[in-house]
Amino acid sequence: MNRILALGAVALAAATGLTACSTKDTSQGSGAKEITFLTFETPNLTPQYWDAAIKRVTDKYPDIKVKKLVSPDQDRTTYAKQLLTSGQFPDVMIAVSPAGFAEAGNLYAWGPAELTDFEFPSNGAIKGKVYQLPANTQTIPVVYYNKSLFSQASLSGPPKTYAELLDDAAKLKARNITPFVVGGGHDALGPTFAGILATDVYAKNPNWMHDRRDGKVKFADPDFQKAAGKLADLAAKGYINKRDLSRDYAATQQAFLDGKGAMYAMGNWFAAAADSPQTKPKFDIGQFNWPADDGSMVVPAFTGGGLLVSATAKNLDAAKKFALAFQLDKGNLDNSTKSDGLFPAIKGYTPPADTGAAFKAGYELFHQAVAAHAVVPAFGFEAGDDGMLPGVVEKWVSAAADLITGKPVAQVCRSLDTEWDKAS
Amino acid sequence: MTADLAAPTRPPPLRHPPARRRRRRLWPRLTHFAGFAGPGVLVYVCFVLAPIVVSVGYSLTNYNPFNPPTKYVGLRNYRLLFTDTEFLTSLRVTTILTLIVVIVPNVLGLGIALMLDRRGWLYNALRSVFFIPVVLSSVVVSVIWTRLLDNDGLLNQTLRGLGVDNPPGWLSDPKYALYSVGAILSWQMLGLCVVVYLAGLQGVPAELHEAAAIDGAGPILRFRMVTWPLLAPALTINTVVLLISGFKVFDHIQVITHGGPGTGTTATIAFNVLQTGFVANRRGYASAMAVLMLVIIAVVSGIALKLLQRREVEL
Repeated sequence: MNRILALGAVALAAATGLTACSTKDTSQGSGAKEITFLTFETPNLTPQYWDAAIKRVTDKYPDIKVKKLVSPDQDRTTYAKQLLTSGQFPDVMIAVSPAGFAEAGNLYAWGPAELTDFEFPSNGAIKGKVYQLPANTQTIPVVYYNKSLFSQASLSGPPKTYAELLDDAAKLKARNITPFVVGGGHDALGPTFAGILATDVYAKNPNWMHDRRDGKVKFADPDFQKAAGKLADLAAKGYINKRDLSRDYAATQQAFLDGKGAMYAMGNWFAAAADSPQTKPKFDIGQFNWPADDGSMVVPAFTGGGLLVSATAKNLDAAKKFALAFQLDKGNLDNSTKSDGLFPAIKGYTPPADTGAAFKAGYELFHQAVAAHAVVPAFGFEAGDDGMLPGVVEKWVSAAADLITGKPVAQVCRSLDTEWDKAS
Repeated sequence: MTADLAAPTRPPPLRHPPARRRRRRLWPRLTHFAGFAGPGVLVYVCFVLAPIVVSVGYSLTNYNPFNPPTKYVGLRNYRLLFTDTEFLTSLRVTTILTLIVVIVPNVLGLGIALMLDRRGWLYNALRSVFFIPVVLSSVVVSVIWTRLLDNDGLLNQTLRGLGVDNPPGWLSDPKYALYSVGAILSWQMLGLCVVVYLAGLQGVPAELHEAAAIDGAGPILRFRMVTWPLLAPALTINTVVLLISGFKVFDHIQVITHGGPGTGTTATIAFNVLQTGFVANRRGYASAMAVLMLVIIAVVSGIALKLLQRREVEL
């Protein structure tokens, strides 16, 4: 009996050891090179969207086999860090912040020859090297407004100055209409704060974040404090409902589509939901740029958000080939404009004629800003050397919530400086 | 005959020398032991002990995988923790949450167990109903409660229907968010307490109650003098399990509030460990937090266990 038990234990240990040591290479036999691809899902970017986009590339390159990974939530960067730590770093990732990964040598640096098709090939560079394909431009935010609710409050059109915005918000509130729809978290709350910071900080100093990295400016400086004070003021006046901070991104978008508020400061990707037959609301949606005090045009935008490739990918060439093909495929680009409202930053690309009205209006606003040289970085959404230090973006989002829930502005700004110091 | 009896008796010859015989007896026992305990010990060493040892090692360094090189910093991380307002806030949040989680399910669980300590299909069904939240995934529970408690959720819609113009932001107002999370955790843990107390109640001999009743004790006195002392082991189990669960809370926070609203209002130590380690990339510092959390849980649970075991009586 004892011998049987001992033999069993030895056999079990041996089997465990053999299982642990063996690796299953599914690419064997078919000759295809397998790569892993980390995606994320939103109401716009559905599983079907990703599957179709991947298929377009693998149809073109049948020698590449893609294993799709999906981030469990919107925070795909943190998930990528967890995968890296556990030895499962994906071969290809999309819209993951390269900060940290790049400096540690985890990402492949694209060469100039590989970036010739991109309009802004050096965008998002880290110490001069580009790790994330600068694939598309997003304006963050555009203020979408519910024309029906505006009419109910006798507002004839969008505000042109910040003072007019406050007047309009007061009129909406007087009619028992919530002026601004917000939610909690980076993508649901960040764009509103980014709008204020664009007009009050970046419009005055487009290099503000570089200066912060160099220690020349601080969050506690008057310009930033003034912008933070504006956000706090919107909440204090009841134009932003602090109870809405418990909404996640999808619920926030739905709240605006359900007519639960008049204005929605959001990235231009919202145009996809505004245009989609499945989600298009009954009311008409207008859009305007976040107004500056003096009414001058300021459009915060970010170009990047594309694919990144692991420097240690087992099939590095296949990963690179897949990433570039995914990013430059005309079908994928067209679909990204329709499904996610993106403005592809690819040379010679023009969006398809059948894009929706919201997309076209946003695209027009952006091109007006480009012509007027009124584009500034989108605060909190920048990448690489243009962005905040790793870990500070999350504190910035928490700070925005603190401002809305009534924490003193000066204290919030000081705490951001403290967090910056900790991260540096 | 006499001479035969007087002759010294010699032990029967041994088949094997004594040492070899002992070895043969020991070996089967060892293999027997290894066969049963080996796999468990192996799993424990690999997945519990080794990570703890590695974490302790990391906690003595400035390990940041994105900012090499890693250097030994001694106890600096631990010293920093005691002046880090973010960590101290998470310690306070965790303590409050743990107190809620230990007290509320214990008290309500005992009350419900007393009500369910009857025979009949209805009581059996109710026991199952109360236990269902325990077996549900904490993520599922969190998503359901988020939908119920957010500003447009069922609770606030009901309150508005009843004429409350501005119902509280249960998850979005820093004044309420922590207690809302505490209530959700208590709801999920309640079933466990009910089951453990029910098991304890069913172990109380009926004769003791009868004897107390004959002596003139009413229901309250019988509960205080008979039932409650004999429920001490159940109280010990519930309290220690809830203490450990309360100190480790992470998943509910991650799904429901993500540590907010605002900075750290519901951020527990476990949540803070993940944020520090995987968002801010300060793995060495996060490891120090994790090690300190382990020590706190071990010490508090140990003290609670000792104190509660003193109350236990044997039948």
